[in-house]
Amino acid sequence: MTALNDELPLARRRRARTGYAYFLVLPALLPVLFLSVVPLVNGIYLGFTDARAGLNQTTHFTGLDNYTGLLSNEQFWASFKIGLIWAVSVTVIQFFAALGLALLLNLNLRLRWLARTLALVPWAMPPVIVGIMWQLVYHPDAGLINEALYRVGLESLGTNWLGDFSTALPAVIIVGVWAGMPQTTVVLLAGLQGVPGELHEAAAVDGAGAFRRFWSITLPQLRPVIVAITSLDFIWNFNSFGLVYVLTAGGPGGRTMLPMLFAYEEAFKYGHFGIAAAMGNVMVIIIVALLAVYLRRRMREASA
Amino acid sequence: MKRLAPRRVAAAALAATLAVGTLAACGSGDDSAGPIKLKFLSLAWQEESVAANKKIVEAWNAAHSDVQIEYIQGSWDSAHDQLLTSFEGEDAPDIIHYEAALAGQFAQQGYLADVKDLIPADLKGDIGDNVWQTVTSGDGKVYGVPFLLESQAVIANKKLLDEAGIPVPTADKPWTWDEFQAAAKTLTKGETFGTAWPVKQPVNRVLNLSLNFDGKYFQKNGDKNQVVFGAAEQEVPKRIHDMVYTDKSAAPDALTMGGTDPLPGFFGGKYAMLPGSIYLRQQMKEQAPAGFEWVTLPPLKGLSQNQAANPQTLSVATQSEHKEEAMKFIAEFLNPANMAELAKGDWLVPTGKKAGEELLKSTGGKDGWDVAVASAGSLVLAPFQTVTQFPEWKSKIATPAFQEYFANKISLDELGKRLVEGGKDILK
Amino acid sequence: MNRTSKWYWRVLQYLALAGYLLFLSFPLLWMLSTSFKKPQELVELHPSFIPRDPTLANYATAFTEQDLGRATLNSLQVAIASAVITVIIALPAAYALARFRTRVNKVATAWILLSQLFPFILLVIPMFMILKQVKLTNSLTGLTLVYVVWSLPFALWMLQGFVRNIPRELEEAAAVDGATRFQTLWRIIAPLLAPGVVAAALFSFISAWNEFFFALVLLKKPEMATLPLALAKFVGIEGISRLGPLAAGSLMATIPSLIFFAILQRRLTSGGMAGAVKG
Repeated sequence: MTALNDELPLARRRRARTGYAYFLVLPALLPVLFLSVVPLVNGIYLGFTDARAGLNQTTHFTGLDNYTGLLSNEQFWASFKIGLIWAVSVTVIQFFAALGLALLLNLNLRLRWLARTLALVPWAMPPVIVGIMWQLVYHPDAGLINEALYRVGLESLGTNWLGDFSTALPAVIIVGVWAGMPQTTVVLLAGLQGVPGELHEAAAVDGAGAFRRFWSITLPQLRPVIVAITSLDFIWNFNSFGLVYVLTAGGPGGRTMLPMLFAYEEAFKYGHFGIAAAMGNVMVIIIVALLAVYLRRRMREASA
Repeated sequence: MKRLAPRRVAAAALAATLAVGTLAACGSGDDSAGPIKLKFLSLAWQEESVAANKKIVEAWNAAHSDVQIEYIQGSWDSAHDQLLTSFEGEDAPDIIHYEAALAGQFAQQGYLADVKDLIPADLKGDIGDNVWQTVTSGDGKVYGVPFLLESQAVIANKKLLDEAGIPVPTADKPWTWDEFQAAAKTLTKGETFGTAWPVKQPVNRVLNLSLNFDGKYFQKNGDKNQVVFGAAEQEVPKRIHDMVYTDKSAAPDALTMGGTDPLPGFFGGKYAMLPGSIYLRQQMKEQAPAGFEWVTLPPLKGLSQNQAANPQTLSVATQSEHKEEAMKFIAEFLNPANMAELAKGDWLVPTGKKAGEELLKSTGGKDGWDVAVASAGSLVLAPFQTVTQFPEWKSKIATPAFQEYFANKISLDELGKRLVEGGKDILK
Repeated sequence: MNRTSKWYWRVLQYLALAGYLLFLSFPLLWMLSTSFKKPQELVELHPSFIPRDPTLANYATAFTEQDLGRATLNSLQVAIASAVITVIIALPAAYALARFRTRVNKVATAWILLSQLFPFILLVIPMFMILKQVKLTNSLTGLTLVYVVWSLPFALWMLQGFVRNIPRELEEAAAVDGATRFQTLWRIIAPLLAPGVVAAALFSFISAWNEFFFALVLLKKPEMATLPLALAKFVGIEGISRLGPLAAGSLMATIPSLIFFAILQRRLTSGGMAGAVKG
């Protein structure tokens, strides 16, 4: 500890530090309180009511009624399963693909600036056209994939990607990976800058190969960033439904019905705000439980 | 690092200006004095119909200095979310363009005003009772003025019909379903399928067409609705299914397409006939390759040519403080000349008889306008349109069930069982 | 490692990179091609990449029918303001969360997670009501505030991780040299965080640039429309859209973000850490 801190009595030092911490957090606190915390509390509370859309509707507190109803809602749980498959696959594929790309973009290659810029294309394209472009890619008659297969004479491999019961979910997963890769790549690339170069040089001098260096130096240094971005990615992927809605609207036969799509329809199409909020609460609890295992370390750090 | 400093300063300055700019922009919105301002949410999106909308609004604003209309262009995709949020947030537009079925849901929730006593007599008389029924709630309230109708017709590749020696049916002697199916079979050869059924969203399409065979799908049992799936209801889904899997005269891949997705195949000669909405004529006109000849066939006939009428509507928000003025604007917006223009811009059928006549005159019945205008007579209120929980049944039960049936994953019996049993849960 | 295998590696690296870029950017290329096609060419059974009969009509339509110039300015204003404000308020907060053990810490972590986990669509209506109370609906300021709050959790979450990676000894050394806490934060810590700050700013900018739903419900006045709102007007009923003008407009909306990226990307690797150590 520094000399400065040693001069202060422990309690005073603590108070001063706490005060300083609050001071630093304050600018973020106000907007967050009004535009995030209040709506969140409101949203969570709705999950325990019978709130419905309608003019001059009165809302009643119904306790756990919504939840007992959800327990027997097979469709909701079926969509939950699809949601988990979707979120886990997209997150995992996205992470490995983005890690590879970030490592490449971190090398001193020619036209690196251009490559880095192009890598962010999925992020830069307006979402309104992304779904439409991918529909054109997967179109059974005139789609890019089937057309490419046709031109190289592999027409028989072509299929109705978004319409076939077995290929619909994998097809939307690929779009999900595509759409989310830029932010994962950017974060990992930024994280790679925190890996001190001396360590690499020292290891190289010791004769460690590229892979060994990556495994024993880069990866451990990168771990906090990896944990942070994969858990956020998982949450985001679980919560995203806009793209899938445009591509398949949950079909064919409910094969791509994501839970958030389910909750969205419950709220906005049928006006059942209470039930939709209850679904939100259930999803939050289950996802937190899943993440808790993954984030144990992070949580310990936060409270350490 | 030094090199970057000026840029950083510039960025900070820019940020500061923008922050001030945004704060200033949020300025005053006083509406205490001056003319009445009405917000009009329009969902027109085709080039011509947007232009027609804007023209009518401008003409109104020029003529009425005391009531000014603010034109807001929305989009069909997001209209429901946008409207629900603004109703709940008490910030709704005064005049709302939407469609009868979904507007009915908003009416039930109390968001749309009963305009029965505000509608001028000539507008009321010009629109058929069969159409007014679609915007009348169970207790007799009228929650909108219907103005554009959509019917399902068939568009065909004229050259392929001629080659196969199939004569084009006329409006007074339309094809029956049997004749259509036979023609599709004849037209199927080589790479060409007789037809394509784009039923990505199968429910409305099937339920609409089922009225051809008097298939109702919903029946009142006391004061409760229940789903029925008898012989009449089975006709249309079974025929579509059999065309794909038994006759092989309809393309299986097209089943998961949306309305206009089969167009490349249709123009490329892969599909000879394309059943679809009459607005498809617009795509024909705009996108058909040079030399491609298309023809609009009249709606198919089962026991009748009846289809469900789900017109586009103009409603007034309950929260609006100027309902009478809003209705006056609607009446002006929908005068026969305007209505004909709007219908033409969207390639749909006007609900008003006078507008229909005007449209026939101005187009000479070309580009399928004869078929389109004639189809208006057989559009009626379908039972499913009066069922409050229909959207929920459609999305949770019927859509996946029909998709599985059309993908040949379940039998007709299983389809019926799911529709009926699923209905029991939701209609309770 | 000998020279030949190094050469071999380089080629592989370039090939892999090319594969990645093709996958990530081909929809943009297809959009580019689409934007120059006439309506007839958009519905061909065997589409070609190079338009046979290129036209600029789609661009003309996109700009005359929707005021894309105005919408671009609105979007720029909202996106830049969100990025700047997010970074300014996130940086000190992230530092505090990473360095001090206080109760704020647990609460903040819980909030960050919850705010991302809870379905945001259910928050739209309450947020709308609050903004209406303070008369910030129908205003770009209100929208900016929403976007700042929306990107803050990500910014905090990321920046915290970056702060933790900075050795405490660096700060302590600065403290010994007599620097105040603020000086330490701005002179020592902030430069080291540059890559993280750039990542957070990019995220905030692009979320605001592309966001549709809040803009839709908050902004009613046509002259306030942001780019996503203006573009959505080319989308019609039942998945039919006016693809030509939509592609042209979307391309015009994509280019500013790409330029922004091209300028910022260098900062992703030009933080103090990378600069201090020869790479």
